Amino acid sequence: MMSLMSTMRALTVRQHNGAVSRSLHLTAIMEAARKGTREKARKKKVKVEVKKVGFIPHNQRDKKINVQRADKHVDDSWKQIPKDNVYVGRYYRWPVYTVVEAIKCHRETHHPSMYNVTNAPLNVEIELNMQGEKATRFVDNFQRMAMIPHKFDHGEDRKIIVFTKGNDEIAEAREAGASLVGGVELIKDITNGELLLTDYQYIIAHPNILAELVALRGLMKRKFPNPKSETLGVNLAEMINKFSSGISYSAIKDEYQQNFGLIKTSVGPLSMNDQQLEENLRYLLKNVDSMRPRREGRFITRVLLKSPPSSEQLKIDPFLYVPELYDKGAEKVKTEAARDSSRDEDTTEKVVATSAN
Amino acid sequence: MLKNICVTQINLLKSVSNMQQQVRTTFVLKRKYEPLLHKTNEKPRKMRAKHFIYELVEDTSVKKQPNLEVVLKQFVQGVGDKGDVVSLRPNFVYNKLLLPGLAAYKTPENIAKYAKTEAEKNTLEHSSPYAQRTVNVLESITLAVIMNKDERWVLEPWHIRASLRKAGIYCNEECISMPSQRIEGPDLKKENKEFYCTITVNNLEKARLKCRIHHWSTDPSERLPYVLEHWKMPAEPLLGLEDGATANETAELTPKST
Repeated sequence: MMSLMSTMRALTVRQHNGAVSRSLHLTAIMEAARKGTREKARKKKVKVEVKKVGFIPHNQRDKKINVQRADKHVDDSWKQIPKDNVYVGRYYRWPVYTVVEAIKCHRETHHPSMYNVTNAPLNVEIELNMQGEKATRFVDNFQRMAMIPHKFDHGEDRKIIVFTKGNDEIAEAREAGASLVGGVELIKDITNGELLLTDYQYIIAHPNILAELVALRGLMKRKFPNPKSETLGVNLAEMINKFSSGISYSAIKDEYQQNFGLIKTSVGPLSMNDQQLEENLRYLLKNVDSMRPRREGRFITRVLLKSPPSSEQLKIDPFLYVPELYDKGAEKVKTEAARDSSRDEDTTEKVVATSAN
Repeated sequence: MLKNICVTQINLLKSVSNMQQQVRTTFVLKRKYEPLLHKTNEKPRKMRAKHFIYELVEDTSVKKQPNLEVVLKQFVQGVGDKGDVVSLRPNFVYNKLLLPGLAAYKTPENIAKYAKTEAEKNTLEHSSPYAQRTVNVLESITLAVIMNKDERWVLEPWHIRASLRKAGIYCNEECISMPSQRIEGPDLKKENKEFYCTITVNNLEKARLKCRIHHWSTDPSERLPYVLEHWKMPAEPLLGLEDGATANETAELTPKST
């Protein structure tokens, strides 16, 4: 029996050629090695220490966790439409005013007999759906300048520096009201450090100086004139006018809700007349709408007119001024129209051919 | 006997009421393992245990029920007037309308039975289902009328309309009837004093609106100190006896509308 066991212990599997043979070990001959691996595994295990956290006052706790936040895109379409001539607003949908009506309401509260602030600014709050082309992508925060037909005192200090060659252009820029106009000598001043670019909020350039201006690209960084932001162009007077009198606004995404963007700006004082304010608002909304991402649905979701010191916010319909939904067919229509015209030409040719026959 | 039969026949001819309802204990199931097909002209294969495992497709007891249409037998606040056919959630209809006997199921007979008569149409008691709620809100609030401290003014209906709009209540100028006495300012003796306006909802229901005058200056340093929760504190009447008379008048009117 014992002999049988011993043969079992070192059982050899003979192969046909007999040269290579393998033994089958049944006992734990590698015990020492295994002991080591176990030790290693034991060391690897990290002891989870439970740190005791003392009481943290509620106002000092991390606000980003476990907070249920309401959707900032307010939808009251489930509410009723009022039918009575006197109604309590909270039970019904928000009334939608025309711009003229809303201005009239603000003028009422700002009348000398009430608040007596007849030249209060008419502020606009534009709420945006910042969702990009994909559900997980969002439009970046943007800062822009909207050109407006009716100027007003925006109360900001805007300094404009203009780079151009040629005496005519320099004179034109000076006339339009640029703070500083110059050519190659100005670039030299800046590179020497005699002039600080940071003193100027807006940098405008004429294409004729672009080659020399490249030297300042590193200093200007994102402010470097380019045609997309309309800071590089031939029509200097118009650009300067836009940057000195336009409405500067920035769309800022909500910290916690990425798809909610808000623009807060002013379109003029209440002392301006209704048509002028409405025109300014139209230009502003059109400018905002130009940032619309290529996707279905609304970009501008709600527009409120406010005017301090009154806390009233009056909703207006922005879609009287800009298209509500993304117009995917705009380009298609163009191409189709081109195709149609070509087809018409074909048919006329055919007609000519048949008549010839 | 014959008479009885006739009656039953008439009852039989009545349109079907909505009372017959499906008992909602139905569960729609699906087999997890489909049994194999059997050959033609042969017995089906023997089913195995796994063929009796089911997956739930739909539980009809938790399905959302459609709205129920009923005819109102009388005026119900927040719902409608007598004879109105309304479509509402079934639970609300059972508990708040059918059980108290305020409404009946919508059938041609019921519609004809509870329709308004000419006399009822002429004597309008309620202008709309929500007018009373508006009246209740108007009578419960204390409206702050903010007027200027430096400029001369005479209180006009549009001041009240603007103040109401700031408080989230929307109305026309025609709905507001001011107290008969003229209220002028600025007058710091009138600060935080009460007077009453009458608001007429849909030219019918009248509400007595409590208003208080507050003076406001454009210059922050000139402003009066803010009193916390001033609307909860008692205030003196602004217009003395005469206003009291108008108050009585409106008080007489309000019970009629309720």
